Amino acid sequence: MLNVRALTKIYANRFDAQAGGVRDVAFDLPAGTFFTLLGPSGCGKTTTLRCVAGLERPDEGRIAVGDRVLYDSADGVAVPLNERGIGMVFQSYAIWPHMTVFENIAFPLRVAKDKRYAREDITRLVDDALATVGLAGYGERPATRLSGGQQQRVALARAIVHRPQLLLLDEPLSNLDAALREEMRAELRRLQRQIGVTTVYVTHDQSEALAMSDLIAVMDRGRIVQMDDPRAIYFRPANEFVASFIGSANLLKGTAIARVEAGGIGAVRLDDGVAIQCLFPAGAIADQAATVSLRPESILLGAPLHPDHAALSGVVVAASFLGGNARYDVRVGERVLRVVGSAETVLAHDSAITLSFPPQAAVVVGNA
Amino acid sequence: MTSAVTATRSGPLLGWLRQDPRRPIALIVGLVLAVAMLPPMWMLIVDSVTTQNAIGEITGMTLDHFAKLFANKDALRSLWNSLVFAAGSTVLSLLLGGALAWLVERTNAPFKVLAYLATIISMGTPYILHVIAWLFLLGKVGPLNEAYRAVTGSSGILFNVNSMAGMILIEGFLWSPLVFLLLGATFRAANADMEEAARMSGASVFQTLRRISLPLAMPAILALALFVFIRAIGGFEVPALVGMPTRIYVLTTDVYEATLKMPPDLGYAASFSIVMVAIVAVLLYFYGRLSKNAEKYHSVTGKGYRPRPFDLGRGRWIAGAIIVVNFLIVLVLPLITLLWMSLLPFLRGFSMAGLSSLTLKNFYTVFTVPGYLELALNSLCVAGGAATAIMAITALAGWIAARRGPGGWVLDQLATLSLVFPGICLGVAVMEVYLRVPLPIYGSLWIIAIAYVIRYMPYGMRYVYSGVLQLHKELEEAAGVAGATSMTTLRRIVVPLLTPALVAGWLFIFLIANKELAIAVLLASPSSKVIAVAIFDLYVNGQGGELAAFGLIWTVLMTLIACLFFAQMRRGSSDVYGN
Repeated sequence: MLNVRALTKIYANRFDAQAGGVRDVAFDLPAGTFFTLLGPSGCGKTTTLRCVAGLERPDEGRIAVGDRVLYDSADGVAVPLNERGIGMVFQSYAIWPHMTVFENIAFPLRVAKDKRYAREDITRLVDDALATVGLAGYGERPATRLSGGQQQRVALARAIVHRPQLLLLDEPLSNLDAALREEMRAELRRLQRQIGVTTVYVTHDQSEALAMSDLIAVMDRGRIVQMDDPRAIYFRPANEFVASFIGSANLLKGTAIARVEAGGIGAVRLDDGVAIQCLFPAGAIADQAATVSLRPESILLGAPLHPDHAALSGVVVAASFLGGNARYDVRVGERVLRVVGSAETVLAHDSAITLSFPPQAAVVVGNA
Repeated sequence: MTSAVTATRSGPLLGWLRQDPRRPIALIVGLVLAVAMLPPMWMLIVDSVTTQNAIGEITGMTLDHFAKLFANKDALRSLWNSLVFAAGSTVLSLLLGGALAWLVERTNAPFKVLAYLATIISMGTPYILHVIAWLFLLGKVGPLNEAYRAVTGSSGILFNVNSMAGMILIEGFLWSPLVFLLLGATFRAANADMEEAARMSGASVFQTLRRISLPLAMPAILALALFVFIRAIGGFEVPALVGMPTRIYVLTTDVYEATLKMPPDLGYAASFSIVMVAIVAVLLYFYGRLSKNAEKYHSVTGKGYRPRPFDLGRGRWIAGAIIVVNFLIVLVLPLITLLWMSLLPFLRGFSMAGLSSLTLKNFYTVFTVPGYLELALNSLCVAGGAATAIMAITALAGWIAARRGPGGWVLDQLATLSLVFPGICLGVAVMEVYLRVPLPIYGSLWIIAIAYVIRYMPYGMRYVYSGVLQLHKELEEAAGVAGATSMTTLRRIVVPLLTPALVAGWLFIFLIANKELAIAVLLASPSSKVIAVAIFDLYVNGQGGELAAFGLIWTVLMTLIACLFFAQMRRGSSDVYGN
């Protein structure tokens, strides 16, 4: 549906050597996909989205929706943004304050070039869109008299009223408070399934991305570093950056003891001499440097349940009760590991404990 | 894809213009601005470095005008007088307006409303009316010197108003309402937490003021001081009415005199204007840097947030007295003077004897002699037309410039170019340009309207520019994504949302155009006058009674419009768009 190839847009930056922008971004989305661009601020996710929308002009690359080419630097094709027929929700919602809710949503229909809508068609389509976002009957309200959540829904209704093939969402939940954000997350996903529109979603919030997406592209410094489904992103991070950005994994440095096939289990000798069994998604040769990602919640507090599992002894140096669970910093040899235990575990400072984890939980990742 | 194809077919220029729909707009607006703004500047330069024969044909290049200027002792004295005059009145207006602004905005002094009232009414009064009133109050037969004579029994005078001191005093009074208005905004926006932190640390009100409030406001105060200084250098009303009778010349009156000679010494006027423009340009450069600095200190707090005012204790009655006295000086005394003048058949000092000869004859004349009505209509049309033209041009230019659209920088520079012209210099330049244009513009109201457009274009630009910056950019982007062309976005999103800024800018230009004398004084002809010029002529002809009657009626009308302006400003700041 949405096909992006070799997209490059560099911003010259006078202040440091690292220029902003995106480099060589490519993805191909099947129709109906909920696709998320995830990364820290400045990673290029919004630039990518704005290039697709037509708000930025890429330096190079090709963007196509279905078989319609929107931008191609090789052929000099650049469809102006107002002829792309894409729906978009902005971070600030961009609800026009001088119009009613109805007029805000009707705007894309009124300015449409390819089709003239009759008055009753406009009324019907706007009412449909209002009902879809759960705001039926709000049409005559002035746009200034809406709560944040309602503005969000109006922005969404405006983006889908002309039945676009592609919907772009630029951090739409970041201006909402926590409770509303949870609610809108589920709501957005339900809506997207209901109308089946291919969606590109930009966020820096990893839990949003994991909860909502069919496919996630993690971006770092202008490049896509990993593109996968949420579970793979979480459990098989491609490199240190992904591992630490998502779920703040423990990263342990070491070397592979022997050659390992891709996808095989092998031993890694950590820098302090301890050897543990790890999963090698990409394989390794003997003596190759290896960084091991170990999720805090994959570590069990207590003796190993299975002889294959690794066992490390340590001392609790910090404990914090978080309500739903408890977090501990445990010193093992030279290093401190973050561990998450259930809410019922009560471990005091300085208590000695054993940590264990299965080989599949210790994933060897590439260098960022 | 269609647009990309047509772009390649229809020639390089058309294709280039179609690539970004804002380009044709920028091109047209840029051409209009260039035609309006560049010729006056060019003409001044040409006149200052050429010799010309009697019919204005250029006969050769020369630097004689400048050489003569710098060898001329009178010219150098005028330059020196200008600097003293501007510096003195700047200091005075900052002291008066600044103290008032702080008392009103940051303390619990009583009678605050009087300060706003004085500001609103002075916004609508032509400068020249104030000056005339003050000349009377401080003049030989005015109440000040009368009282002195009555008390001491001498036949002399306490204060000679036709002196540098008199000029500075009156100019300082003229500018203090503006200082009050602008510094008031600075004090209002200042972060009260910083002052409260000082008070919590044990500082007294005075210590807090001296060590926290003033240093924080200093960049804004300096920028404002420079602004008032620039305006005072170009000030014309006070030097012309107060200084010229006793031959105290400043730059503006010197230039004015040169154009009155027969034949006019335009080389001298132009070269002197170039000197003034250069001085103002340098000052403007520093003003730009200072106001950037001032923004850094501008710690804006949340909207609608009202900082807690200082409690002055018993001192608040002293502060209240200061506000009342200022109100009397800036507003009540001049208005009473004008009323007195308007009710007497001939000009005389305040006295009981005068009361018996009070008459409404002057008002009757104003309402029945058709010239006055026509004059008022002329002024309203010229100012209104100029304001409308300016807002139409700057709505486009300011939008493109604020959004860093094609050619935005050039548009901004063109539109604000006339800031370097003191009013009288712009008058000289515009006169020169339209003497040479083969259109029946010279001597008509059109030339005054054109001069107003050039003069006040920068103000329109500022109103639109800051208005656009307050609109979230995504409001426009959303319209584009929704399918609107640039023109549709402009028409249906930008202009409606900018309306408060456009209306405020229009009213401001309308008011200030009707206040100033300097631009129109050289361009008006007996058949095409505007209000300030007419008052000037009446004054010179000694028709003080009709002048005062007409001036009072005009002031009432303009005050109503000034009320609209302030109401609009208040509404504009409470509507928060796109946040």
